[in-house]
Amino acid sequence: MKGLYLAFCLLLLSSALFAQKEQPLPKDMPPYGPEKPMPAPDVKIEKLDNGLTLWLVARPGLPKISSLVVVSGGLASDPKELPGISELLGRTVTTGTKSRTSKQIAEEMQGAGADLSAGSSRDITQVSASMLSAKMNQGLSVLADVVLNASFPDSEVDLAKRNLSSAIDAREAQPGFQANRALAKVLFKDGPYSVVGATKDSLAAMTAADLKKEYARRFRPDQAILIVVGDFSADKMLALVREKFGPWRAPAGPPVAPASVPSVEVEHAAFLVPRPQSVQTTLALAGLGPRRSDPDFEAAEVADGIYGGTFGSRLTLNIREDKGYTYSPGSFLQTLRSAGLVRTQADVRNAVTGASLNEIFYELNRMATTSPTDRELEQVKRNLVGIQAIQLQSRGGLVGELATLWVYGLPPGEIGEHGKKVAKVTAADVDAVARKYFGASRMAVIAVGEEKAVREQLTPLGLPIHPAP
Amino acid sequence: MKLRPKLLPGLVLLVVTALSQSQEWKAPTAMKKLANGLTVVVSEDHSAPTFGLCISYGIGFRLEPEGRTGFAHLFEHMMFEGTPNAPKGVLDRVIEAGGGFLNGDTRYDFTEYIETAPISALEPMLWLEADRMKTLDFSEKNLDNQRAVVEEEVRVNVLNQPYGFFYAIDLPGKAFDTYPNAHNFYGEFKDLDAARIEDVKKFYEQYYNPNNAVLAIVGDVNTQDAFAKVEKYFASVPSRPTPPRPEVSEKPQTAERRSQQPDKLARIPAVAIGYRMPPRSSRDAVVGGVTGELLHNGQASLLYQKLVKEKQVAVSVNGGVNWPLGAPLVYNGPTLMVSFMTYPPNVTEDKLLAAFDEVVAELAKTAPSKEEVERVETKMRSDWYNELESPLDRASALSHAVLFDGKFDSVYQIPDEVAKVTPEEIRAFAAKYLVKTNRTIINRVPAPAADKGGAQ
Repeated sequence: MKGLYLAFCLLLLSSALFAQKEQPLPKDMPPYGPEKPMPAPDVKIEKLDNGLTLWLVARPGLPKISSLVVVSGGLASDPKELPGISELLGRTVTTGTKSRTSKQIAEEMQGAGADLSAGSSRDITQVSASMLSAKMNQGLSVLADVVLNASFPDSEVDLAKRNLSSAIDAREAQPGFQANRALAKVLFKDGPYSVVGATKDSLAAMTAADLKKEYARRFRPDQAILIVVGDFSADKMLALVREKFGPWRAPAGPPVAPASVPSVEVEHAAFLVPRPQSVQTTLALAGLGPRRSDPDFEAAEVADGIYGGTFGSRLTLNIREDKGYTYSPGSFLQTLRSAGLVRTQADVRNAVTGASLNEIFYELNRMATTSPTDRELEQVKRNLVGIQAIQLQSRGGLVGELATLWVYGLPPGEIGEHGKKVAKVTAADVDAVARKYFGASRMAVIAVGEEKAVREQLTPLGLPIHPAP
Repeated sequence: MKLRPKLLPGLVLLVVTALSQSQEWKAPTAMKKLANGLTVVVSEDHSAPTFGLCISYGIGFRLEPEGRTGFAHLFEHMMFEGTPNAPKGVLDRVIEAGGGFLNGDTRYDFTEYIETAPISALEPMLWLEADRMKTLDFSEKNLDNQRAVVEEEVRVNVLNQPYGFFYAIDLPGKAFDTYPNAHNFYGEFKDLDAARIEDVKKFYEQYYNPNNAVLAIVGDVNTQDAFAKVEKYFASVPSRPTPPRPEVSEKPQTAERRSQQPDKLARIPAVAIGYRMPPRSSRDAVVGGVTGELLHNGQASLLYQKLVKEKQVAVSVNGGVNWPLGAPLVYNGPTLMVSFMTYPPNVTEDKLLAAFDEVVAELAKTAPSKEEVERVETKMRSDWYNELESPLDRASALSHAVLFDGKFDSVYQIPDEVAKVTPEEIRAFAAKYLVKTNRTIINRVPAPAADKGGAQ
């Protein structure tokens, strides 16, 4: 029914605004079929005596499981004098325990069919392993050993430091990294969220003792969650997890405090990162947006989808499908635990840098000053609900979504609520949220590229141009 | 007409139980061919009310015309530019409002069009796929637009990136001698610029035919109902002759090939090594796949352990057979086992290669242990299951297998085939194929920026 109704609307709603771009739907094309409800995952919630939170989802079928341990404390919690130690922690936490060498860990995980990985975002540090169900005892034993007993051998730390140093060199050449780093500095100044990784200087100062201290501070069961999704019986999994993670003990000290809400003042200006020989300009824009747990988050998701977050969005139709300025323009809502951002990015050839930014500003301001059409609103809402269902089909997608909810302090049942909240978003909600967050003057602009070309291109826009901090 | 008997639920259970001895996991799958030559594969999966769909056409980089490098991929973009019945924008709107997404991928031996969405969008998407199999909007304006988009894609993925994908584009270019296997598949700009709408028409007529395509649907469907829907929308697509597949094999390589490239954007040097691999249909190819993973898969791999951990002459190691454009056994013509390694500036290329050669020589001399090989085979089973997890990925894997083999069996058999490979087979493979005369090496070194007067 809903599908038929929508197809009907699509036929009627070719508004004058889109007259050139929007064609009526083909008359012979069948309408959407009946909607089927998307079942919310059945999450078994447990807490061990040591405070460890467990979210388990048993899914018979493909004989694999995905497991993830998340602990509080990420790049934003790094000690002021050692920014980016989270990065080295991620690279070393899997390289030795009290009873296993790095090689044994790698080999045992390979033998379980597992990919073991560890790393940090701004707010958390995580260790994950996806493995064959038949080998879950072996795989979870090693995962638990890493989480409970990492030993940070000096030789492994030295090697990881050398390789991270090379990786720092290598990423200095990547325009996406340069843009992200500059953006974090411009928005968050010297605050906790300004840290995106280690620097050569901070890396040189890091020691195995520093890593052990950070590990002890973060890896404690009373500020951790273990999420397991896949082909297992919930009872057996619970017993296995109790056995492996039950002995985990929290130290006496205080847990890691979440990053405080930063005060952000965004200067509407261009911040230039010179990149000699660059054949494109990497444009990255950001302004303040809602946090994941804010009541207007879903409306902002819809606004973002209309503006640049989907392939059929205004920005993609404009600067890719109409003008051919770029291959992969897009926007997204970046959610940190204590802050939210509205982001836009596009890599454009040097000669259309100014023209592209002009169109981005236009589309941002159009969002902030005019209402979406009914067709746009309906399309993006249905897209958000459907895409979520598709993502939650995979073990990895569901584990990731559950982890996100936990980080933002939301219950697992929020997965089922999200679609309902999106479905309720109205044009007025989108108008309000777009006015609040999307106006171009709310955005800082990072431009990574050939300095002379970028300056020539951006000068006519009358925007202040500063060197990036 | 080939139609597998539909499995009853009880029967499925029995089959799965029986197969658990061999650890094989498979999903109920059926195949059918329409009168116009379109092969259809359906696999039911009722775990969520969604579907994944993939149409693979038997055309990729390898067969694109000379003087038109990059054309198969540019053409792929034109498949999203509308038809006389469903103009540009309709396809995107229907899939997005249907709650899903779509995409296309071009590889050496296929071009695939994929979409996934809640099941309610299946019928309009089938209609739209059938529509673009009948004809396209052959528009100059859209060609110019997509040419610009593709050139930006090449800039963002190749020209503006350190290493510029040299291990995937330049390495086959040096390792192979004939146009189909050696040319730049992303396309030289002069060739992309030379592409005309007549080229688009001709390519479409030659290769975009139902008899050169495999459609796979995986998800919350009833098999017979899905076949009936496909019949309804695709039966009217006319069959057209597809040119016979030309010979694309290479004369054997007789000497090692080495070269050096400057890189204006990279900060640390890198080496790529490519060994020519045996044809996919041979037993050697399976052994090659396992050997490639033994050498490259993860931190337990021989190369990571020796070069990164023990000798510390490399910063990173990646690679394998058919890497990075596909899984180890998903190719259908000459391909390489690629090793891509970045290394510290204070290490020389020769020193890195000496350590690499030590690993390979040891493998050719002494068979790896049974435990080592079992670990790698277990990991490959686990990795392969990832390719079958989502309806979309499974549809993609099924359609590639049927395109290459005319049947889908390999999709479920690969893990067990891999598990049969023995340590001695690996040793013999290394001794036969991982030899200097069968390899090509490119050393890519950071080049100082040309504008020396610029910011230091």
